Amino acid sequence: MSGLLREARFLLRDRGALLWLALALLLSAAATGFGIAEVRGQRATIAALLEEDARDRADAISKQEDWGGAAYAAFHLAYAPPSDFAFAALGQRDTAPWLHRVRMLALEGQIHEADTKNADFGLIGRFDFAFLAATIAPLLLILLLHDLRAGERVAGRHDLLVATAGAPQRLWRPRATVRLAGLAFAMLVPFWIGAGIEGAGIAKTLAASVLVMGGLAVWGLIVVAVGRLAAPPPVLLAVLVGLWLALALLVPALSRAVIEAAVPVPDGAEILMLQREAVNDAWDKPKAATMETFLARHPEWRSLGEVSKPFEWKWYYAFQQVGDQQAEPIVTAYREGRLARDAAAEWAALLSPAALVERGFERLAGTDMRAMIAYEDHVRAFHADLRAFHYPLFFRDPPYDPVVLKGLPRYQPMP
Amino acid sequence: MSAPFRIAREEWRLWTRSRVVVVAAFIVAVLLAATSVLTALRLADEAERRTARQASAEATFFAQPDRHPHRMVHYGHYAFRTPPPLSAFDPGVDAVTGQSIYLEGHRQNTAMFADTRAAADLGGFAALTPANLYQLLIPLLLIIIGHGVVLRERESGTLSVLLAQGQTGLAIAGGKALALAGVAGLFLLPVAVLAGLSVTGGESPLAAGLLVGGYALYLAVWAALVLAVSLWVRQRSVALGVLVLVWLMVALIVPRIGINAASAAIDAPGKIESDLVMLAEERKLGDGHNAADPAFEALKKQVLEQYQAASVEELPVNWRGVVAGHSEAKLTALMNAHAERRMESEAAQARIVTWFGLASPTLAVGAASRALAGTDLATHHRFLRESEALRFDFVQGLNDLHATALTYADDAARSSDAEAEKRTRVNAASWRLLDTFRFVPDPAAARAARAALPLLLLFGWLAVLGGAIVAGARRLAP
Repeated sequence: MSGLLREARFLLRDRGALLWLALALLLSAAATGFGIAEVRGQRATIAALLEEDARDRADAISKQEDWGGAAYAAFHLAYAPPSDFAFAALGQRDTAPWLHRVRMLALEGQIHEADTKNADFGLIGRFDFAFLAATIAPLLLILLLHDLRAGERVAGRHDLLVATAGAPQRLWRPRATVRLAGLAFAMLVPFWIGAGIEGAGIAKTLAASVLVMGGLAVWGLIVVAVGRLAAPPPVLLAVLVGLWLALALLVPALSRAVIEAAVPVPDGAEILMLQREAVNDAWDKPKAATMETFLARHPEWRSLGEVSKPFEWKWYYAFQQVGDQQAEPIVTAYREGRLARDAAAEWAALLSPAALVERGFERLAGTDMRAMIAYEDHVRAFHADLRAFHYPLFFRDPPYDPVVLKGLPRYQPMP
Repeated sequence: MSAPFRIAREEWRLWTRSRVVVVAAFIVAVLLAATSVLTALRLADEAERRTARQASAEATFFAQPDRHPHRMVHYGHYAFRTPPPLSAFDPGVDAVTGQSIYLEGHRQNTAMFADTRAAADLGGFAALTPANLYQLLIPLLLIIIGHGVVLRERESGTLSVLLAQGQTGLAIAGGKALALAGVAGLFLLPVAVLAGLSVTGGESPLAAGLLVGGYALYLAVWAALVLAVSLWVRQRSVALGVLVLVWLMVALIVPRIGINAASAAIDAPGKIESDLVMLAEERKLGDGHNAADPAFEALKKQVLEQYQAASVEELPVNWRGVVAGHSEAKLTALMNAHAERRMESEAAQARIVTWFGLASPTLAVGAASRALAGTDLATHHRFLRESEALRFDFVQGLNDLHATALTYADDAARSSDAEAEKRTRVNAASWRLLDTFRFVPDPAAARAARAALPLLLLFGWLAVLGGAIVAGARRLAP
């Protein structure tokens, strides 16, 4: 204990070390601040769109005279609001869409719309807290700890210190611990304040803090292990920077390349082409053929499934669904391919503490690949609700009454 | 042989003897070579695939049977963004943006299926590309190799010997600069080879040459920084610490802070957001499917007067087709206005990020590199504009057919009268009105113009650092 206090006093007098800690504090404050501004912007966008969406739908329906027309005209806003922890890790939200407007047409033509931000954002990436904790913090730790022993050697005090300390661990352990704790504290204080402002739960904040400290501890062990080499500080630093580069940059990038080569994903463009061909061919095919495919999935409408006029809404929406049905195998393969890649990435992340921390943050924030796919599934479920609501109206075809449309399913975001 | 040359040769001799230097250089060289080959193969494959897709989309469109022209408006078409030759070096936004776009009537769709949507997520870094390695890795290598160029002489006491022999500080700094330039030059070989290959693949020599020149400038900036720090700082470990910190700020932190700042400063609405605003305006235009919509009364009056007809039934053209063409034109003008506004705000964000190049040569060289390779945001925007022009052309061609090739009476009766429906089917030979579309990069001069500002920023860095080197060399003392 007295060792820790002594080292803490030393740290407060070490201007070089204090500079690194101040830098960590500043970067953490910037990352947290920008993150909060971004999620607030996204929430404001969703709130504004919700209002406009309801107005637009009411207006569109008011001009329609039949069920099919109303279903064609009414769009529904689907969205994934940022979680209360998303400020710390924007993750996939910069590259995957979190907003959709869907209607009763074939879903495959709508759900892949990419309402993403500026492409440069996805390319260069944001400076969020997860990136700071996963990638930048280890390098700061290296700069802070690399000359723990070698610095004393250069100063000529090394052997004297070791001799007076009795066991060498009593000297180096408190010193490394104090510096590591100082760095973790400098980063976590702005983060805790941010989490408090955003109302992120204690459990998540605690888990994230453990993740940050665990990541730093791993890097601390690496630094201490390399520090045992009796080499001059510049060589130690070069070796450590090389290790950092390998673990934080190269291993994730290489794993990604390997995973993407090993786990193929069907070309997304094919989903769309298949769906379009199916929907368009339906106009020229005998209507009974389309209805047969549809009724195989929906036997409850068989008694009303006959189409006698050149155009009927029930047939029109049936072939929209048949278009989706035809694309199903490739859609499933696309979804499962993405999940398989993510599962492989989960294993590969064990090779890189940086990837592990970043993925951990994205998981906590609900901005990882799985969360984005869960959101897509949620939109699919909502679209299925829309179909379940409309099909009785198309098939039974009661007299058009816009009041019934007040009961349209409403999109509820995932909890 | 002059003194700077002898000093540089001595430095090289030492480096080839140092295990750290040789191992580090070897690893980087292998990585660079492997990444270059793999990226070049991948992008060549992509280019071929997308060109084939584009051709097959056209063939499918031409092969459609006789049908109502409006059916073809909704059948639609695809545009593919084929990667340019230099994307083998810098794929840029290719992986982040969708590669294909579905074109249909009354709608502007987004480019869909970006690679990143199906990517294995392993944290903040983009995929390994030669451009990334040049931007991030080689500067770090120069730091590891070169941080001690002058300090080594100082710490081993040979600096005073050199100075006592009558070498000026400038000559010593010149020799060290030459030695570092040699390393940088060696590592420029892969980009030079890739650029050369792209020229044989049809790329303009100007763009390829400027790309190599841009990276030469970038590595020169880092070599100058390393030398300046080695001249001004008194201890090797401090020099290395300072350089690693600068690298961290310049290569990793400032670019991302630039993104945060651009995103916070300019709110670029997403497509869905601006679509909703647009829809409110669109409703005032009327629905092009419904020729009886009151919004078309003025048009009706004008067309009836033009043909001196008393009613739409008497018109020599199909009124429904006229309405479809008219409302598509109006709607497109509206959609384009919104799309332009959206792209303009993204371009404004990109400008903010580029100005962060004042604080980060990495950001500057990245912007120049993507612009020259034809893989920047501006090129993607041009793809969106060109595919939109393609969409409007074929949709309006079909709407003209709709107005001239079938009668109003048949068209109105086609939902209830099977014979009338048959008469509204247009001969499939008419589908040839679709233009062939091949996306090509901007002319080299236009790309060079976009790269001018970031390249200028790099020159600014080099000039400032050159000044620091000269000043440091003049006051060089043991």
